[in-house]
Amino acid sequence: MVDPGLEELIMAGPAWQRPGKRLLLSLVRRPRGLALLKRFTPADQAGYALVAMAHYDDPEAAGPLGWDADAVAARGRELRRREGRP
Amino acid sequence: MSRALTADACVIGAGAGGAVLAAELAEGGMDVVLLEQGPAHDPDGFTARPVQMLGRLYREGGQTITLGDPPIALPLGRGLGGTTLVNSGTCFRTPPEVLDRWRAEFGLDVDERSMRPHFERVEQALSVAEVTPELAGENAAVARRAAEALGWSHGYLRRNAKGCVGSGVCAFGCPTSAKQHTGITYVPRARAAGARVLTGTGVRRVVVNGGQARGVEARAADGAALEVRAPLVAVAAGTVHTPALLARSGLGADSGQLGRNLSLHPATAAFALMDHDVDMARGVPQSFYIDEFAHEGILFEGAAGPPSYVAMALPMTGRRHQQVMAAYLRLAQFGLMVSDTSRGWLKFMRSRPVIRYDLDHGDLEKFRRGIARLGQLFEAAGAREVFLPLPAHVAPQRARRRDLKLMAFHPLGTARADARPTHGVVDGQLAVHGVRGAYVADGSAVPSALGVNPQLTIMALATRLAFHLLARR
Repeated sequence: MVDPGLEELIMAGPAWQRPGKRLLLSLVRRPRGLALLKRFTPADQAGYALVAMAHYDDPEAAGPLGWDADAVAARGRELRRREGRP
Repeated sequence: MSRALTADACVIGAGAGGAVLAAELAEGGMDVVLLEQGPAHDPDGFTARPVQMLGRLYREGGQTITLGDPPIALPLGRGLGGTTLVNSGTCFRTPPEVLDRWRAEFGLDVDERSMRPHFERVEQALSVAEVTPELAGENAAVARRAAEALGWSHGYLRRNAKGCVGSGVCAFGCPTSAKQHTGITYVPRARAAGARVLTGTGVRRVVVNGGQARGVEARAADGAALEVRAPLVAVAAGTVHTPALLARSGLGADSGQLGRNLSLHPATAAFALMDHDVDMARGVPQSFYIDEFAHEGILFEGAAGPPSYVAMALPMTGRRHQQVMAAYLRLAQFGLMVSDTSRGWLKFMRSRPVIRYDLDHGDLEKFRRGIARLGQLFEAAGAREVFLPLPAHVAPQRARRRDLKLMAFHPLGTARADARPTHGVVDGQLAVHGVRGAYVADGSAVPSALGVNPQLTIMALATRLAFHLLARR
């Protein structure tokens, strides 16, 4: 099961990359798959980077690291309304 | 259903070049139609979450990649504002030595003095100002202290931002609308001056008859065929997509240069684990530069972002990645950009760009030296640990092309300007050679790598073109 946000991102990407990305994601999530990928450093890193990006985009993972995306977005909205910004 | 519009000028693309040109022409009294393939983005939808925003604000979800050695990620903005919507906002004027080279090598009638009023006009329109140390944040302060200790030339960057509070997500949609991208500056100016701005509109071809541009054929957002009749057409669809449109229109191919001469300013970045909190997303991500090695074609610039961005960029996997991410607050990052001599080319398969770019030996050497110096920089900053963008156990001096983890943000040159029709797609006034009324007004016309971020150069050239066209009326 691919994270919905990640699936949306993959679908936004070029069609020719999608099968490869889904394969990478399925391998990187399995210990044996990850071990296989480690023989091919660029593929290992590309697959892991996608998974890690999605994981830390989740407020539950980002919050303990001091990042509150909702608060940043809310502050932006408030500032734009208060100051009449576009 | 089809419909037709008539105008004095049709501008294709609302990014750095097209939006500026459209606004200046409209304010100068021309009846302008500005066509943009992407949408108008509502900043209320900017969530400060990279995974969501990549899919919405970038072409191909930011996953455009070059083929070659090594492959290079090439994210491009999509929508009103183009890539100015998602860039770091860094503003450099074209270096005088680059303008001198354009004059000598490409026969362009440009120099520092003649370009100055155009730069000043753009800088005023975009509220360009130097970042303050307070707003730059601790990530920049780490680099500044190190540069001072090493005696390397450095400074705070100039940016097109007004009322910035350092949200830390310039590349993922500025939530405060502080970044003065062309979608909120020049496009509203164009509208106020009477220009018609159509989003979601894909242009199929530029229509030329008897050697004279007559307008464009397009597909409107509702799917209807759209014809814009105009004796002046300016293509500003970006360095990757402008050559495709010109080729579909049978324009610009005579020189043999269309789609060639692609430069990218390839870039990479290193991380460092510090003993104190950096909290890199608090402040302007790209706020500081080190130009000590600019004469070698290496420019260091700040880079930073929220945890998901860092998680994607860290050069490691597994447990080690998790350990380093757990110390996110103590991570610092700094990047380097190479003024490349490598040149790529692009072709299109079913309207998708196929981009070929191989790093030449000279640029590989720049990366080897640059990455080693990034390590030196962070050591001088007192880093506890440095994470270079290379596989484990590969020393910078021995890095191979395939070891490099590169991105690029500044594609240029695929419809380059050259006074000679045999050497360039457009002439010194950005007119397509051999056609009356057809122009190129984006990074594709920029004839060489700049060594600095290109948005101001593209905007100043578009301003220059606008005044040239208005003077001819």
